[in-house]
Amino acid sequence: MKILRKLALGAAAVALMASSAQAADIKVGSVGAVTGPIAELVAAIMSGRNLAASHVNAQGGLFKGDTYKLVLGDSACDPKAGVDAGNKVVNVDQVVAIVGASCSGGTAGMVQAVTIPAGVVTISDSATAPSITDLKDNDLVYRVAPSDAYQGAAMAALIRSRGISKVAMTYANDDYNSGIAAVFEREFKALGGTITANQVHEPDKPSYRSELSTLARGNAEALVVFAYYGSSGIAIIKNSLETGLFGEFFAADGMFDDSVIEQIGVANIAGKLSITQSASDPEDVSYKIFAKAFTAGGGNPNAPYVTHAYDASFLMALAIEKAGSADRSKIRAALRAVASAPGEIIRPGEWEKAKALIAAGKDINYEGASGNVDFDKNGDVGGLYTVNTVSADGTWKNTILR
Amino acid sequence: MDQTYGLFLYAISLLTMGGIYSILALGLNVQWGFTGLFNAGIAGFYAIGAYVSAILTTAPSVRHLGGYEVPYVVAFIAAMAVAGVIAWGVGKICLRLRSDYLAIATIGIAEIFRLILKNETWATNGPRGVSMVPKPFETLPEPYNQLLFLAMILLTVAVIYWGLERARKAPWGRLMTAIRENEISARAAGKNVERYRLQAFVFGSMLMALGGAYTAHYLKFIGPNATDPLTATFLVWVMLIVGGSANNKGAILGAMLMWTIWSATEILTSRLPDDLAIRTAYIRIFLIGLVLQIVLQKFPQGLLPEKRQ
Amino acid sequence: MIELINFYIVPGLVLGSIYGLGAIGLTLTFGILRFANFSHGETMTLGAYFAWSLVSILGWHPLAVMPLAMVLTVVVILGIDRGFYKPFRSSPTIMLVIASFGMMLMIRSVIQFFWGVQVKTILPGIQLPIEIFGLIRISPKHMVIVGSAIVLMSAVYYLLKYTKIGKAMRAMSDSPELARLTGINTEHVIMATWIVGGSLAAAAGVLLALDSHVQTLMGFKLLLPIFAATILGGVGRPHGAVIGGLVIGLAEELSTYPWIGETPLLNPGYKAGVAFAIMVALLIWRPSGLLRGRTT
Repeated sequence: MKILRKLALGAAAVALMASSAQAADIKVGSVGAVTGPIAELVAAIMSGRNLAASHVNAQGGLFKGDTYKLVLGDSACDPKAGVDAGNKVVNVDQVVAIVGASCSGGTAGMVQAVTIPAGVVTISDSATAPSITDLKDNDLVYRVAPSDAYQGAAMAALIRSRGISKVAMTYANDDYNSGIAAVFEREFKALGGTITANQVHEPDKPSYRSELSTLARGNAEALVVFAYYGSSGIAIIKNSLETGLFGEFFAADGMFDDSVIEQIGVANIAGKLSITQSASDPEDVSYKIFAKAFTAGGGNPNAPYVTHAYDASFLMALAIEKAGSADRSKIRAALRAVASAPGEIIRPGEWEKAKALIAAGKDINYEGASGNVDFDKNGDVGGLYTVNTVSADGTWKNTILR
Repeated sequence: MDQTYGLFLYAISLLTMGGIYSILALGLNVQWGFTGLFNAGIAGFYAIGAYVSAILTTAPSVRHLGGYEVPYVVAFIAAMAVAGVIAWGVGKICLRLRSDYLAIATIGIAEIFRLILKNETWATNGPRGVSMVPKPFETLPEPYNQLLFLAMILLTVAVIYWGLERARKAPWGRLMTAIRENEISARAAGKNVERYRLQAFVFGSMLMALGGAYTAHYLKFIGPNATDPLTATFLVWVMLIVGGSANNKGAILGAMLMWTIWSATEILTSRLPDDLAIRTAYIRIFLIGLVLQIVLQKFPQGLLPEKRQ
Repeated sequence: MIELINFYIVPGLVLGSIYGLGAIGLTLTFGILRFANFSHGETMTLGAYFAWSLVSILGWHPLAVMPLAMVLTVVVILGIDRGFYKPFRSSPTIMLVIASFGMMLMIRSVIQFFWGVQVKTILPGIQLPIEIFGLIRISPKHMVIVGSAIVLMSAVYYLLKYTKIGKAMRAMSDSPELARLTGINTEHVIMATWIVGGSLAAAAGVLLALDSHVQTLMGFKLLLPIFAATILGGVGRPHGAVIGGLVIGLAEELSTYPWIGETPLLNPGYKAGVAFAIMVALLIWRPSGLLRGRTT
């Protein structure tokens, strides 16, 4: 066992050297699946989180000029990596709290095995599995991304409101898409709709023509696709249009990206695709502020979960400021206080104003780019949904769902 | 919480995962190192062990099979038993294949197992996985719960190591080496080669299942992504080859070293500025690959080569 | 019946052509260098990314830049062979397998670093299928894919059958000791193997990108079915690899056809398992492949 001890000491020495360099920072873990199956989604999410941090730091930082520093951890969409990343940010970097992780599986591992026992508050911006609500979390696990349970219902209602009663559905075999598909199926039937065919598909296949052919057998009026745009969503819609099997599509927010229009072509998809997305009202002030700032930095404010990423990161900074010190145990109460009424409304980017109010002992209420982010007793937020359709000029047109 | 204590906790987590990987690497060493069986389906047995133990110990849930709530020891034994029976079946059919062919067959079989675990939602909750898996000692205060869990893992590693060292020096081990080195003469000496091969395959696979079971309890969660072949098969191979095939100490060293590199490199890359940090997350994987290549070229026999008797 | 052809057999053939091209390279390295090359999927991905870059710089059709992408990929692969595989020429197979595993991680992260992880498209828009004989509907890009595959495969056939280096490659694959005794320059043969394998892998990547899109894991996701095709065709048998590719491609698609009743015969969630099941069954039943390949 001598070797083991040496190894442990070696690792500890490396970590110590590396972490002592920036002592004045207030560190928060930023854990996400930077590598792995949804890397393309997470890259945008990370820029959302970083934008919030740069807003905080540009306007005076935390407390008396301390830097709000996000420490990256790669959860790779794998619970093993999620637990490992959680361990690193919690123990080595001694973060105050964590924003993340990305996939529901990676998040479930990280919060159960690391952050709940350690008493660290986490806000996830993209883990949407309903099972996260049930965790015994000592009020430590929050998320600004609404549970799939809400989006499935919103989508079912949307489709019925368009007068469509028969749909075929297909979902990618992963934690996110299968979860939301199951909710949708139940809700759509409850609203009197008929599902003519429901098929799982394996992502990352080059062609889905054979699956579509069986899906099309029940004469459905539309196809409901639950998939990430990159790994199978675009391929399914392309194949459907090429074969003429389906002409109208509904999808959830894993499909929402500009590359959908780019790859399929405006003329082919305009008016045919509706994507529900958990977002705030596009006319909402908070969203507009965020969108302007994010676009200025070269980002696309419509990418999935970037608004949630910004909100989770900004909200965490507010909670730390409110708590008054980098003390893990105080964050939880402070977080609930800054996230909801009563209090003066704070919008994305309004860090200076928030800081002044907190210093004056006044209440604040953050209204985020993704919605009002009022946490319920489980630490979940209710969903406000928009539906995005492709207009003839190749832009997304979003309307709020009520 | 101060820095030293945090590093202490991180060291515990490193050793815990390293210990679990040591069990997998020792299991592979029985198959490859001693007997020369190219099993590239570690992930399959690992997944079976993880799911069996998780389902047997969790509280009732509407999302998956469960509610048996058996004691941990029973669950571990069951995980190994199920994997053992399946490995026996697989071995019966596949072990006459040699080297690369056996590797590809076992990859295929492991992927089929993983597909079953992913698609049979009624039993496993499909891609969403089994959550709220209990963890031994978790009710004790920090850090004793983590220390005891680590002690359990390291004790297991020690027991397996002791057992394998004894077996290696015993006639059984010498016979295994003989089969690996020169099968024809082993056969000529009247030994039932198939039977010994099957023994090694089944025993190694049972160890892999035990590693899987420990993982499920350590993570308190098990889902298809946790049994990805990248980290559950290939990484184990890398560990054994780097550490030294057919050397039990080498297997443990390789597991601990490679896991430390896998995990701790991120502590360095995550310190870079934001935009660079995301990009270097990719380069971290590149560096891991490069370290592997360097070790392979500098130490072709592994860091601790096989000891000939 | 028409449905079966248009939605199952045609996509199966397209997929099978891509598998086949990938499998030729794999079967040659397997046969001549004697190891299962895990970085072969990443080679395909690399080819697709080179093509994407060339398309965006030059603005040509993907097919026009394909030869260039193939050349670039081959250059990279030859460099990799020199630095990472050559030291192990006389080592046990396992060393090369592990080295190729490391290479897989390295190529993938370099791609992610330079090109980013965003999904890219090489041929935007959709193509409506053309009707042939009023029955078969096939989209132009699928004809292009199958056509290119046939051209490339014929070229390989000619190379192996009639050229000196091709004959040497076959000899190496059949019996390396004998080949060495007859004075074949091993290093030349190995180089030729990487050139043929690398360029075909790059071509397979470009054709795959033509049908779907460019993504960092695209080649890796095809690796196991391509292994299956290689085994199916018999290791070291390029024409076997083509047949293996087609069989696997067709079997994957046809397994989800509603042969009995209205629902797919096999839950599409298990589609990825079809290739493995065929492969395992074949290994057990006929370990040397459909066409007799190398046995170990």
